[in-house]
Amino acid sequence: MNPRIITKDELNRLIDQLINTTKVYAPVRDKTGARWAKISSSTEVYLEEVNTRDPAKGFFFPRCELLLKFDQQGCPVEPEPPGATVVFGIRPCDARGLEFIKKFYTGQDRNDPYVRARVEQTVLIGVACSQPAPTCFCLAVGGSPHSQTGLDLLLIDLGNAYLAQPVSEKGEELSRTYPEADERSLKLASELREKVEAEIRTRIDTERLLAILKDGFNSAVWAELSKRCVNCGICTLLCPTCHCFDITDESVRGKVARYRVWDSCQFPFYSRHASGHNPRFSPSSRFRNRVMDKFYYTVEQVGEISCVGCGRCSANCPAGINICQTVQEIMETK
Amino acid sequence: MSNVSRQNPYKPVMMRIEQVIIENDARDLKTFDLSFVNEYERAQFKFIPGQFAFLSIAGVGEAPFGIASAPHEPLIKFTVKRVGVFTTALHELEPRAVIGMRGPWGNSYPFGLMENKDVVIVSGGFSFTTLRATICHLLHPENRSRYRRITVIYGARSPGELLYKKELQGWEKDPNLNLVICVDRLNGADWPAREGLVPNVLKEVAPDSNNAIALVCGPPIMLKYTQPVLKDLGFKPDQIFLSLENRMKCGIGKCGHCSIGPKYVCLDGPVFSYAQLLDLPPDY
Repeated sequence: MNPRIITKDELNRLIDQLINTTKVYAPVRDKTGARWAKISSSTEVYLEEVNTRDPAKGFFFPRCELLLKFDQQGCPVEPEPPGATVVFGIRPCDARGLEFIKKFYTGQDRNDPYVRARVEQTVLIGVACSQPAPTCFCLAVGGSPHSQTGLDLLLIDLGNAYLAQPVSEKGEELSRTYPEADERSLKLASELREKVEAEIRTRIDTERLLAILKDGFNSAVWAELSKRCVNCGICTLLCPTCHCFDITDESVRGKVARYRVWDSCQFPFYSRHASGHNPRFSPSSRFRNRVMDKFYYTVEQVGEISCVGCGRCSANCPAGINICQTVQEIMETK
Repeated sequence: MSNVSRQNPYKPVMMRIEQVIIENDARDLKTFDLSFVNEYERAQFKFIPGQFAFLSIAGVGEAPFGIASAPHEPLIKFTVKRVGVFTTALHELEPRAVIGMRGPWGNSYPFGLMENKDVVIVSGGFSFTTLRATICHLLHPENRSRYRRITVIYGARSPGELLYKKELQGWEKDPNLNLVICVDRLNGADWPAREGLVPNVLKEVAPDSNNAIALVCGPPIMLKYTQPVLKDLGFKPDQIFLSLENRMKCGIGKCGHCSIGPKYVCLDGPVFSYAQLLDLPPDY
């Protein structure tokens, strides 16, 4: 699929056209920086921040999903499937997060009709990062500010135009009417990639980390590392790949519905048995579970680590815990 | 389109409560016998003893329970202890009430592995449910000849806390199995015959570990003291199978709650060999 050139004006027209036919979500300006919102005009798009506050995982796995309604007899009724959605301005790390959610929920031998319906109905238009945030480390975990994984179309900002790289049929469909990119633009795009990649200096030897974690369940490092952790769970709720949920029923004035909502392994009730026994009662065992899950457990489950290097957990931790430093200390302790 | 079922695994089928039995003196254990509201769903519900299912009450919630009936029995049986919001609501229901059920989920006891071997079943308290399903399945005339001697050691705190009392009294006379029932305290009752803790009774009964498989289910304290006894009797870690009961929400390896390291109790279990558990972190 050939890369195209789309001027910024043309892109705005394309976004406005899409708004006429489908729901379009994009980062918009907000007092905390940027957040995801349904937009009604291309002028609302705000790409000055690298990361939106929330990850993009909600487009496949919403914070709250209606699973079933129940009629008067208590019979379950499935909700209407979601409509077509375009997500514009998603960053490559968030797109890799969505790719993980997709694999975890709908990969081989895995069936989740709710995530599947959203995956099928969603078009992801990514924008490559030109300036990483101080907490960014996508390169250390197999990504790149120009990564195409999980996207339908990747846009690279060349100044007054975008280089548009189609990644899927959906992306090809969106971009094929624009002129093909010339040599100069392609060269500029690859120079930009080199430049932005050079600015991300964090490196993690994930293979060695995996070997250490496999042997490290009883390591003394967990008690030490988790001393500052207050188990607030923000690292899991803002993580693009964290995928745990609770199922809860709501009954209001005779209307009965069952929802699934995000849950976190950092909360003490998460693992409590009906008998009262709790295998992860201690805060340090919950802290350990999160790190183990990111860099070891999901490797066994779906073949890859579940950290995309967005840095949200580090940037938003009220106790100042930084995942890269945590990993560094685990590697040094062993 | 993949081969994965397009059915919605979160959507329960409707079940009618046919019978409710109060099982114990404390009146916090009830057995519910359920029939399918839609008969065609009965044929689709194929399970093996050891598997579990979620019971659902609209507006209250869901919870997972081991299936206590054997596949050949017409009704689906669950024995439920009243401990929280859902089980309290369930205990309030009477025959003819309609609830939801989804499943079956999880693996099962290793029936293939048990063929042509002695089967030793060790159970304490109300964890006996899926083992009741197992015993009924093993004793079925079509199945019995595939297994050698069957020994069952089942204990409870007091005589009134034993589940399925009528059935137990029938099995005590059945030459097809050796049933040993024990209670911590007899409190003057004349049945069962033995007073003693399950691990001690297991030591006295001393089943042969040669060419045998042990199925163990009980509270953590019983598991802890049963393990060394089985070891002394010569059972290797890959001859011992345990059923775990972690917290879970989905039953299909998604919600994360029942994880033990990279494994999920709902998908990779609930039945694990002791050898498997030795390889996993002790997160259960």
